Amino acid sequence: MADKNLMEMARNTALIARKAGAKDARVFLSRSRNVTLEWRDGKIDRIRESTSQGLSIDLYVEGRYSSNSTSDLRTEAIEEYVKTAVATTRYLAVDEHRKLPDPSRYKGMTTENLERSDPTVSGIKPEERMAQARQLEEAVRAGDKKNKIVSVTSWVSDTSSITVGFATNGLEATEAGTSFSRGAEASVRDTKDRKPSGVDYGSTRFQSDLPGIDDLGKGSLRRAMEQLGSRQVKTDVYQVVIENRVVPTFVRHLLSPLSGSSIQQKRSFLEDKLEKEVGSKLLTIKSDPHLKRGLASTAWDGEGMATVRRPVFDKGVLKTFFLDTYYASKLGVDPTTSSKSNLIWKPGNRSVKEMIKGMTRGIYITSFLGGNSNSTTGDFSLGIKGHFVENGKIIHPVSEMNMAGNHLEFWINLAEVGNDPWSHSSNRAPSLMFKDVQCSGA
Amino acid sequence: MINRINNDGWSRRRFLATSAAGATLAIAPSFLIGCGGPATPPAGPADLAGAAGAPPSGYFKNFGVDDQVIGKVLNAAMGKGGQYADLFFQHKVTSYLGLEDGEVNQAYSNIKLGCGVRVLKGDQTGFAFTEDLSTEALVSAAMTAAVIANGPAAPPLKTIVRVDVPQYYTVEIPWTDVGIERKMPMLERANKTAMAYDKRVIKVRVFTGDSTSRVMVANSDGKITEDTQPMTIAYLTCVAQDGKRREENYYSFGKRAGFEYYNDDRMDELATVAAKRTVTLFDAEQPPAGEYPVVLAPGLSGILLHEAIGHGMEADFNRKGKSVYANRIGKPIAPDFVTIIDDGTNPNERGSLNIDDEGNESQRTVLVENGILRSYMHDRISAAHYGVKPTGNGRRQDFRHPPVPRMRNTYMVDGHHSPAEIIASVKKGIYAETFTNGQVRIGSGDFSFYLKNGYVIENGKLGRPVKDANLIGFGPEVLENVVMVGNDMELNVGAGMCGKDGQRVPVGMGLPTVKCNGISVGGVNDG
Repeated sequence: MADKNLMEMARNTALIARKAGAKDARVFLSRSRNVTLEWRDGKIDRIRESTSQGLSIDLYVEGRYSSNSTSDLRTEAIEEYVKTAVATTRYLAVDEHRKLPDPSRYKGMTTENLERSDPTVSGIKPEERMAQARQLEEAVRAGDKKNKIVSVTSWVSDTSSITVGFATNGLEATEAGTSFSRGAEASVRDTKDRKPSGVDYGSTRFQSDLPGIDDLGKGSLRRAMEQLGSRQVKTDVYQVVIENRVVPTFVRHLLSPLSGSSIQQKRSFLEDKLEKEVGSKLLTIKSDPHLKRGLASTAWDGEGMATVRRPVFDKGVLKTFFLDTYYASKLGVDPTTSSKSNLIWKPGNRSVKEMIKGMTRGIYITSFLGGNSNSTTGDFSLGIKGHFVENGKIIHPVSEMNMAGNHLEFWINLAEVGNDPWSHSSNRAPSLMFKDVQCSGA
Repeated sequence: MINRINNDGWSRRRFLATSAAGATLAIAPSFLIGCGGPATPPAGPADLAGAAGAPPSGYFKNFGVDDQVIGKVLNAAMGKGGQYADLFFQHKVTSYLGLEDGEVNQAYSNIKLGCGVRVLKGDQTGFAFTEDLSTEALVSAAMTAAVIANGPAAPPLKTIVRVDVPQYYTVEIPWTDVGIERKMPMLERANKTAMAYDKRVIKVRVFTGDSTSRVMVANSDGKITEDTQPMTIAYLTCVAQDGKRREENYYSFGKRAGFEYYNDDRMDELATVAAKRTVTLFDAEQPPAGEYPVVLAPGLSGILLHEAIGHGMEADFNRKGKSVYANRIGKPIAPDFVTIIDDGTNPNERGSLNIDDEGNESQRTVLVENGILRSYMHDRISAAHYGVKPTGNGRRQDFRHPPVPRMRNTYMVDGHHSPAEIIASVKKGIYAETFTNGQVRIGSGDFSFYLKNGYVIENGKLGRPVKDANLIGFGPEVLENVVMVGNDMELNVGAGMCGKDGQRVPVGMGLPTVKCNGISVGGVNDG
């Protein structure tokens, strides 16, 4: 379906809602095509290939609100669905804060080319995916000098999608995008029947930006082999370095309490911290929705509002909440955006290797295992895996350990930021070093 | 949940969360309990033909899918040398209602309609889906899935047989008959009860969700099975404030049941338990860090089984040689007083199924019998690999995903000890009562689960409350280190969701009071 037809369908759906009695409506329609090839131990394991479409509609009826979505896009089915949804919405309580964004917020969408779409996506041949997947496995096995591999899985995936947004108060926007990923997972034999696995992968908007196959193969095997013989170290307070690619897993717990819902519902330990210091001077992060080829780059956000760059933390000071129109209205302030976009950190000067060399006694964390964070108090406790480091040297791998603390104390102890932002996540975090971290194990 | 590929500014648009093709693969399964209710909301406004619980009878004819169409699509799927094919039709209507700041002011609805086509050749899978149920679109999806094979077409399907299925969930009042106006008072009542429970409660959110999923599985053996699968969840969170200190907690229900499941008492229980668990946290601190004996309370602590051993016993990881339990069938893996079941037949439970998503009958599967590993959980591929009958564990999130082995209701059967006796046996340890989430690395066997409410045990007695600590261990060792099993098994009543392979499915779990050694507690100060 061409963009024009999608927009036409979005507009028609909004008009159906209007006719049924809605004051306003906002429709998003999307279509996406994905092919994923998974390869295991010398042959294809699964091929998945589909084109998917979906419609969502937000309804504003007599001061009431509902949100509805469907994959049944038959014309008569949509009409019936929207009419019923409008009728259902009338039963709800009136909520004066439910409204579409002010139309001024749709204006000024960036016209820069954000390079979201790689035109090569449509020309990929099935045999090319298969060749890549096979080569990924070969690249993993090539390094298996000790014959430790139990199984190798690799994958290659490409997606293209288009979304249109239409709202009855003036939103009319279209955005297309592509994404690619490939990677490999190596499972290796350890004692006690343990078979630790290592994964390495890349995720990009452009195919040509994917990491090389040899690097991914080596990376996944190294990440598996490094876990052999892992054990606990004693419960104590340690220096900690968190590897760049797993930093987002941890930082998520610092960022989610910044949402409008968390703030307004009093479920945030950051509620009274705007323009206050919550981290060390090294904590500087901005949200950049206009980064070329950024995984979260976009000209408009989840409500159709034009996106802008904004600081999130500046030298440890909290600069923004992520507020949508609804919760901003409840809080009596202007909305910012509910979409975090690409997060760009102010980098430091040293590589993660140099940071580890500078540690006297600590843990280099390369993955998290479960755990959680209390968004109301900031207390967290997370499972960690990685390496024990003493006098700048990696001594042995560690597992079955936790680290715990409170974000409000933890980020003050941010001691160093690496020079290695990882681009395969929308949160392009570098490796981070913290001092005085409670870790528990044996 | 860990995603390998966490790209995508698109995900902010809600519907894509539901329609995204498989761009996300989970490395490791994760387990989320009541993690905020359905990510995608829903309401099934349309009152559709047929009542939930009624015997299946060609429901998809309403969408133009008759036996002739099914035959044609299956022949297309088998047209390139596949050894087996199945079609999974689904029409799922979901409705979700929310109360915040004292008003029922949010409603969400979702309709999923589509068909997944799977073609197998040995253990290789070709998969495609379509949201368009026209014969043309179905045949096109079938031809896409068929490319996994490369050979001559199978002979055309001759007969199609409809198979009766058992009924493990009875529904008196189907959700498709219940309008939003009948649900609103439930939420209002729970809100009032929670606010009244304690002056310190300052915010309450209540959500209810219900769905009716009609599924039909037609396969190249000429067998058609149909099921109507009801589900309901209710979820209440409280924020309480005491001086400057704030705390939050929750409680939830999750059942395969209709509207009859709810009454005033049920909503009061939802509110009271959530409020009580919240204000208790004012007296609690993070527990001491280190390794201690842990006594698990009955019910929700079944999360231990789910993470520590359940995923490792799903047969896909075993046939691939990647599980810590590969090659352990028939061997002792726990003390002889430990018996563990994965069961799809418990009446109206969250993980119960009449048929799995491959059309196989559900069953009660003994995983561990008196300490001996007896069976993995199978889908069709792994059952063929091991030469056993399928166990009814082939499950999928929806028609957009191929099935993989998944748990249903996983629990340990009763032992001989009284709960009091178990607590009294601990000199210094932790009593773990409620949890929010867990995770496991299936290959290395490391697992964790997050403690929300518990107590310190000192000299055989429950002491001060504790909260917010991750518990971590090595699955096989923890199972060997189960030292006492109580006689008070309970199935969890809550809304558990399990994530694996980028797919989320509802699951149940249960445990009697159990004492374990070898669990590391992620606390703060060295006790």
